[in-house]
Amino acid sequence: MPRREGPFTDLAFLAMATTPEAHTLVPASGEQLGSSRPAAPVLHDVSVMIGGQGGDGTLTVSDLLAHYFRTRGLYVYTSRNVLSRIRGGHADASMRASVEPTWSQKWKEDLVVAFDDEAARIGQNHLVSGGILLGDQGQVKVSGERVHVLPLSVTAASKVGNGLFKNTVAYGALSLIMGLDAASARAVISARFGRRGGDALERNLKAFDLGRQLALDQIGKDPLLTVEDGAAKDHILTTGNQACALGFVVGGGRFFAGYPITPATPIMEALQRYLPQFDGVVRQAEDELAAINMTMGAAYAGARAMTATSGPGLSLMTEGIGHAGEAEIPIVVVDCQRVGPSTGEPTRHEQSDLLHVVFSSHGEFPRFVLAPGDAQDTFDLTVTALNLAEKWQLPVILLLDQALSENAQTGPRFDLSRVRIDRGKLLTARDIEGMAVYKRYEFTPDGISPRAVPGTPGGEGQTTGNEHDEWGHVSVNRENRRKMMAKRMGRLELARPDLPPPRFFGDEKARIGLIGFGSTYGPIREAQRLLKKEGVATRFYQARTLWPVPVDSLQAFLESVDVAYVVEHNYMGQLKMLIQQYLPSPKLRSIRKYDGDSFFAEEIVGEVRRSGGTP
Amino acid sequence: MTEHVKPVPPTWCPGCGDFGVLASIKKSLSDLKVPLEETVLIGGIGCSGGIHNFMDGYGFHSLHGRLLANAVGVKLANPKLTVIAAGGDGDGYAIGMGHFIHALKKNVSLVYVVMMNETYGLTKGQASPTAPVGYRGNVESPFDAVLTALSIPSASFIARGFSGDPKGAAQLLTEALKFNRERKGFAFVEMLSPCVTYNDTYKLWREKVQNVTSVAGYDAADRSRAFSTCLEIMEAGRIPIGMIYRAPEDRRLPSLDQTVLPTLEKAPATTDISLATNLPRYQKLVDALT
Ligand SMILES: Cc1ncc(C[n+]2csc(CCOP(=O)(O)OP(=O)(O)O)c2C)c(N)n1
Ligand code: SF4
Ligand SMILES: [Mg+2]
Repeated sequence: MPRREGPFTDLAFLAMATTPEAHTLVPASGEQLGSSRPAAPVLHDVSVMIGGQGGDGTLTVSDLLAHYFRTRGLYVYTSRNVLSRIRGGHADASMRASVEPTWSQKWKEDLVVAFDDEAARIGQNHLVSGGILLGDQGQVKVSGERVHVLPLSVTAASKVGNGLFKNTVAYGALSLIMGLDAASARAVISARFGRRGGDALERNLKAFDLGRQLALDQIGKDPLLTVEDGAAKDHILTTGNQACALGFVVGGGRFFAGYPITPATPIMEALQRYLPQFDGVVRQAEDELAAINMTMGAAYAGARAMTATSGPGLSLMTEGIGHAGEAEIPIVVVDCQRVGPSTGEPTRHEQSDLLHVVFSSHGEFPRFVLAPGDAQDTFDLTVTALNLAEKWQLPVILLLDQALSENAQTGPRFDLSRVRIDRGKLLTARDIEGMAVYKRYEFTPDGISPRAVPGTPGGEGQTTGNEHDEWGHVSVNRENRRKMMAKRMGRLELARPDLPPPRFFGDEKARIGLIGFGSTYGPIREAQRLLKKEGVATRFYQARTLWPVPVDSLQAFLESVDVAYVVEHNYMGQLKMLIQQYLPSPKLRSIRKYDGDSFFAEEIVGEVRRSGGTP
Repeated sequence: MTEHVKPVPPTWCPGCGDFGVLASIKKSLSDLKVPLEETVLIGGIGCSGGIHNFMDGYGFHSLHGRLLANAVGVKLANPKLTVIAAGGDGDGYAIGMGHFIHALKKNVSLVYVVMMNETYGLTKGQASPTAPVGYRGNVESPFDAVLTALSIPSASFIARGFSGDPKGAAQLLTEALKFNRERKGFAFVEMLSPCVTYNDTYKLWREKVQNVTSVAGYDAADRSRAFSTCLEIMEAGRIPIGMIYRAPEDRRLPSLDQTVLPTLEKAPATTDISLATNLPRYQKLVDALT
């Protein structure tokens, strides 16, 4: 049974045969050992799913495991699923840890922790054959050879004084079942709860020890599986949202206004902690109209300013983004895409705002749309976005998606040595003293006019959303209109050398191409690895500038391959449509998924395999 | 001296009330000797909203109804600036109503001037939220911004002037600007500013305005008294004007700019963002990640 039911696209993933054979947990020899315990398999890629009701603390278990495996040098990727087609408040989280680099969900779970029967039944569907299910006694009714029920919540309630500690009891039990090093596993608890004060740390450690003991008493001292250590020991575990917030601070961002919306809110929350330390200001606005306009006001006054939102909020901001384009105000707008339109599926993943961020407007104005692929890339491109906005004096949209925004992943610590601050033609009082005349919208060869901000003597002038002449005076002169349009729009061409180039992965000589943006980076790279094992060479073009469309690099890429699959999370194939506008190549194919979940590498592999890599 | 943009002559209809408002704003700014480079005038969209084009200093033309959000951003980016937002009644009380209420609640030190003419001048005279019943078939009873402002707990400076009384109007604006420059909070000044083309109320308003100081024992520091007096004046068919309410210092809530930016010198737009200065602190943030 496929892990997630389709249909994803008109191209049938369901045609995929069985799951790849690598996905089985019990070693063949173990099956024959009868009653005696099979040898615990040593995994180099493990996934654990923790399910229950919202509020059961499933995310905490996932997070503790993630940090444990991070400290053991593995690549970690976490994801959360609020399966909306299941009634009730079911929630689950998955934690994958792998010796090889990974930035996506694993096709099957090796171990499921279930706090109730619903979670157990859902979990069983996702378990690899021979996978282990750990359930809470009294709650979980399913049974089987590899189902272990332990009194998790009862132990928490009677011995730690609160049933809520069942999640840490479960983590303790897991530590034995998975052969985790007890001291390291406890250290992860200390790191997480140590700063919380009160008796939180003490009680969590107690819960952990009790859980470990439960497993020892009822399952035995030998682990049911073990996981290899990895080499990536200095990595951090972070999300795209966290990377964006930090990139904003480091890039000199000092003003942020936003309105709470999933999955963008964590950016605002992180900045509420960071910015006051740097003389910055974060405001929760009354709505997105205010958020974008406050952001513009601050940017106009000379602060590096940003707002972050998701679909519905972005729609409300559209008028404002156009104003920034016309008035030449440097702002950064982050769009953390989710399932839309309207309220859609607020917690779920999609990449369907692409055409909106590229084209939405009354009238025409220049903007750049950048899309990072992973957390480190998000950090870098947030800094880049701030520089581009100020240098080219226009709105820059940073396009994230739910998976990139919220799924924690490991990666190298952010590299500050790559950070540069370029404020463009921002004038100081001294610069102005040396000028005979200052015109806010002066015509220049590069289309960028020197800019003075309020408070600068001599730089007084008009900033306006009305069509204007060089002085900022309202104008309906036809020649002026033509020249001003050319001044503004011309920057889309002139800025090309400044815009983030694509990243390429895989075999340079490959005849099969893959194109994607945002979080598909992870599953695409993993699909490349799986295909390579089958002897299929691929090359991946990770688009990081989406507007203006990087026609030259795309053209060269298309010339280098026989077929290029555009992998994206929307119904219409929006990236493919955008590319086709400029490069109507018959080599372009589409792999789309729009069920609210992110791609599994196997789905991409299946599609490439199905069509045989031919145009 | 560097040559910079010169104000253009106003494009308003001869006799428009907005001329008086413009003159009052200019006079107050020059009386208080506010440096030109520190003056930011943010105009809304409407006949009134073009006002920044007719003045020297830093001017910003907003979107329809969004001027207060822009103004909050400007002031919180650089609290040294003297920020005036000026627009129409349609701009502020219809499309921008949410921001108006929230500006009163946020209490950022800026001056908000609404040129109130009971109509949408620029789009040719449709009823605005303050239009009386009967104006162009209007059947909705009018909104009153002063009463509304009085009901917002953090509102600390509420005044209404009449452009037909330029001296009184300029006095109110000067007080509002002082309040702003002392970072005391949001100062709201509604200016009765007749639209001679679509709703010429000069004569009517001259007869109807009544300064609250004419009421025996009026105390502008007494919010509930201010409310009841305004109501009584309105019920008598007149329009209350003057310094309606000014919170006494011991009741005044701190302004948002004062709260979030206690020192004037260090603010989002003026703080040093260079890497050279900040790198060690950035490195600490990055090192703290696990
Ligand atoms: C979003 C939007 N909707 C509508 C308009 C059209 N519009 C321009 S000015 C105006 C009303 C102006 O009335 P008011 O604010 O009272 O200003 P006045 O002209 O009376 O000074 C309207 C509806 C617009 N510019 N933007
Ligand atoms: S239409 Fe009315 S509000 Fe507009 S300029 Fe003329 S008189 Fe003034
Ligand atoms: Mg009006």
